Amino acid sequence: MATGVQNQESVPKNLKKQLALAVRDIQWGYAIFWSISARRPGVLEWADGYYNGDIKTRKTVQAVELNADQLGLQRSEQLRELYESLSAGDSSPQARRPSAALSPEDLTDTEWYYLVCMSFVFNIGQGLPGRTLSSGQSIWLFNAHHAESKVFSRSLLAKVGACALILAKPILVNTLRNDSLVYVFMAGNFGNRLSQSASIQTVVCFPFSGGVIELGVTDLVLEDLCLIQRIKTSFLDAPQTIGSNKSILVAARTGNDKDLACPALDPQILDTKLSPLLDCEQLEMASPNDSSDGFEPNHPAEDSFMIEGINGGASQVQSWQFMDEEFSNCVHHSLNSSDCISQTFVDHGNVVPLCQGEKDNDNGLQDVEECNKTKLTSLDLRSDDLHYQTVLSALLKSSHQLILGPHFRNSNQESSFVSWKKNVLVKSQKARDETPQKLLKKILFEVPQMHDKGLLESPEDNGVRDAAWRPEADEICGNHVLSERRRREKINERFMILKSLVPSNSKVDKVSILDVTIEYLQDLERRVEELESCRELIELEARMKRKSQDHVERTSDNYGNNKITNGKKSSLSKRKACDIDEAEQEIDYVISKDGSTDNVTVSTNNKDFLIEFRCPFREGILLEIMDALSILNLDCHSVQSSTTEGILSLTIKSKYKGSTVAKVGTIKQALQRVAWKC
Amino acid sequence: MENSTQESHLRSDNSISYESPYPLYAMALSSMPSRMNLNHQRIALGSFIEDYPNRVDIISFDPETLSIKTHPTLSFDHPYPPTKLMFRPNGKSPSSSSSDLLASSGDYLRLWEVRETSIEPFSVFNNSKTSEFCAPLTSFDWNDVEPKRIGTSSIDTTCTIWDIEKGVVETQLIAHDKEVYDIAWGEAKVFASVSADGSVRIFDLRDKEHSTIIYESPQPDTPLLRLAWNKQDLRYMATILMDSNKVVILDIRSPTMPVAELERHRASVNAIAWAPLSCKHICSAGDDTQALIWELPTVAGPNGIDPLSMYSAGSEINQLQWSAAQPDWIAIAFSNKMQLLKV
Repeated sequence: MATGVQNQESVPKNLKKQLALAVRDIQWGYAIFWSISARRPGVLEWADGYYNGDIKTRKTVQAVELNADQLGLQRSEQLRELYESLSAGDSSPQARRPSAALSPEDLTDTEWYYLVCMSFVFNIGQGLPGRTLSSGQSIWLFNAHHAESKVFSRSLLAKVGACALILAKPILVNTLRNDSLVYVFMAGNFGNRLSQSASIQTVVCFPFSGGVIELGVTDLVLEDLCLIQRIKTSFLDAPQTIGSNKSILVAARTGNDKDLACPALDPQILDTKLSPLLDCEQLEMASPNDSSDGFEPNHPAEDSFMIEGINGGASQVQSWQFMDEEFSNCVHHSLNSSDCISQTFVDHGNVVPLCQGEKDNDNGLQDVEECNKTKLTSLDLRSDDLHYQTVLSALLKSSHQLILGPHFRNSNQESSFVSWKKNVLVKSQKARDETPQKLLKKILFEVPQMHDKGLLESPEDNGVRDAAWRPEADEICGNHVLSERRRREKINERFMILKSLVPSNSKVDKVSILDVTIEYLQDLERRVEELESCRELIELEARMKRKSQDHVERTSDNYGNNKITNGKKSSLSKRKACDIDEAEQEIDYVISKDGSTDNVTVSTNNKDFLIEFRCPFREGILLEIMDALSILNLDCHSVQSSTTEGILSLTIKSKYKGSTVAKVGTIKQALQRVAWKC
Repeated sequence: MENSTQESHLRSDNSISYESPYPLYAMALSSMPSRMNLNHQRIALGSFIEDYPNRVDIISFDPETLSIKTHPTLSFDHPYPPTKLMFRPNGKSPSSSSSDLLASSGDYLRLWEVRETSIEPFSVFNNSKTSEFCAPLTSFDWNDVEPKRIGTSSIDTTCTIWDIEKGVVETQLIAHDKEVYDIAWGEAKVFASVSADGSVRIFDLRDKEHSTIIYESPQPDTPLLRLAWNKQDLRYMATILMDSNKVVILDIRSPTMPVAELERHRASVNAIAWAPLSCKHICSAGDDTQALIWELPTVAGPNGIDPLSMYSAGSEINQLQWSAAQPDWIAIAFSNKMQLLKV
């Protein structure tokens, strides 16, 4: 009979029916059985439930006419299906719209609360069901919707109802978009739905059969242990077979018709089993039609239920069976077996079991836990508080207006975005030429460099930014470079001058220039020495000849000027001619010497030089002589000069200033050079 | 600035435009409503002028009347373009302080106090030991779980975590081998960063010695320019590569293999932003002048993932912001304009 949806090996197979009976008997809103998860020990999860609360619409698509209990069961099934489909999300169309499915808009808040409860998971010891199980005691929560979330984690949910927190799974809603369904409410926008809110005001949990049964109602019900006991006994002692249901019903009918909560029991059994119950029973009997203890007077319905049950007992059971089978066929868990991007929402490691499951035939909740297990290994399990907070957040946040597009009623403006089409022409062609991501790259690459440079150029005085180290270094380097360059240039210049002074040099490289210069200098020195020695000879000869010449002239003059004039002249001329010849010879011999008129005498005494110099006078020659001497580092401190017959006679006394003493020959050469320049 | 205190709005195609006198890059939406008018959404806009003087202006947007108002007094100078602007997030509990805080990054991380009629410098965070050079910042992120914590990324390959209440450095990590271009917080003590070395690394402040590389660009050393962490589903991050039209979606549980590569932009992508309230929506904008909204499916089709919807702007979109304060609106910036698009 199990609907094939849940794993309930440890649970009575007709649990749903029992829940149904129980909750209907007491006229409460819903019953949920939390059982230990087979997958994950230590955790309570939604195993089965029956919804008996307000229903907004009734969708009866079954051919079979259903009575109240059948409808109730069907409703519960439909809610479960809806939950599955919502959490399945992108499942096959079949699951999205099962034939008996409800659409979200059909649900009341209380139904939403019931549905959302399906998603909850409790650790043992936590939450209302958890604590119930661990303590083994029943817990009666009065005024549940005002309870603190520590006590009752779903209080907020209970209070305002899940309608305000709608599970608008985007894909689902997308498909429903065209139906103009308005699903989404922002947190602050509960509006008029609050009046229809779930307002689950009383919740009762008691341990049962390894799990916890939870019952809830929208009314305020005072704590009543009898109620709990009654329900318990209805479960505990209810026969586990289908057939026994009949007997239950039958027994109920024959028995106390006030015995709503435990229709299966004879009063005798009651008496023997549970005395408190008995007491309650007695109380009840004392006030049969009382609605004390919060029982809603709904006898006729119950009676009719029972009568129906009895009348159509056998057929009832059969039809239940039928329905169940049908439901089990209808309920499809066509969840994709492929991997998914789970919709679980991780908030500080908490798990919201709204996952799109991976396997079929399993409780989606468990799948969620499975697929999130790997993630959670290092993360702490959270208390119920955060669980529900996260559920709420997930619900709130997943209900994004984005999805609704133009149908959202709060918006007075349509979206700026249009649906994406593949082949839309985009005017991006012009952008191709430019750098891609230009501005982004500038922000990341260039702007930081601006700051670097800005250190140097910033007009603001940003404190003690000592950025000068960079430019200083450059300057120093620059200085060295410049001075080096200048020195090289000077050297090159001198080399060129040297090259021009030295004759017959075709090569321009520095080495050859120097070589040629050395040769030339040596050559010049040789020549100068030769010349000097020659000159001295010639001078000697010249002096001797001059003396003899003079002597001859005098003697000839003595013989009488008148008579001997011709003869003397001729002799003079002869001599002069000889002289001249000799002079010419001299001149020929010594090309560079300018006759006998030149005379350089240099005598030195350590650093003191005495120079006697005779040369033909010309304009500025004195200056040139001075220059020549100063070039040779001779400091003239006494100069005597006289000019006779165009011949300049100099007597210079000078001192050498410098480390190396110039050679006498060098001085002579220099002076002679000057003298020869005319 | 446009007309001094006049309302100025340009409504066309269901988007609200604001034209600025200069090109814009950095943009931020405030999480705190304006004191004077609770509806008004404050937006900070940073200029992009390739010169020293730049400005940050604050404008306010009224989603009811769909208008934009400029505030000439709510404006300040910034040296060189701010690389990022961000308002103080609300964190776990709404801020109890009286005024809004705006952070800017450039040469330093700076905080500005945004009052009703003026903006005052609040603090400057300078980490350099000497009074001299501090490495410029490429980006930063304000931890929305612990709003006293801001992480900055710099071109000196480090990420610095500041405790802004105490004004000190909480820690400084050498995050990458090359310049770090973006940083994003996941949880209170976990952040991720992307770098020119092409890797996405996750750091946990509780274990500073180790980091996890969860992705490396396929061509080695292709810089990753931007990073966004899905605050609704912390398993997912998105990043963009240099000169690439792809948005790479990463799952931190499965490193090195991207979960999805969204490849429908016709030019390179400039900015990405996850939806603030949905865990599977992301928006991207690029040089093809388009802003695309994507929905990440459970199963990707054989041809890749197509976007959900698109918007074409006038020119290349450089900036994109999708704030939790205004989940219905996406703010984009292109050339001189800022536009608010209704989602």
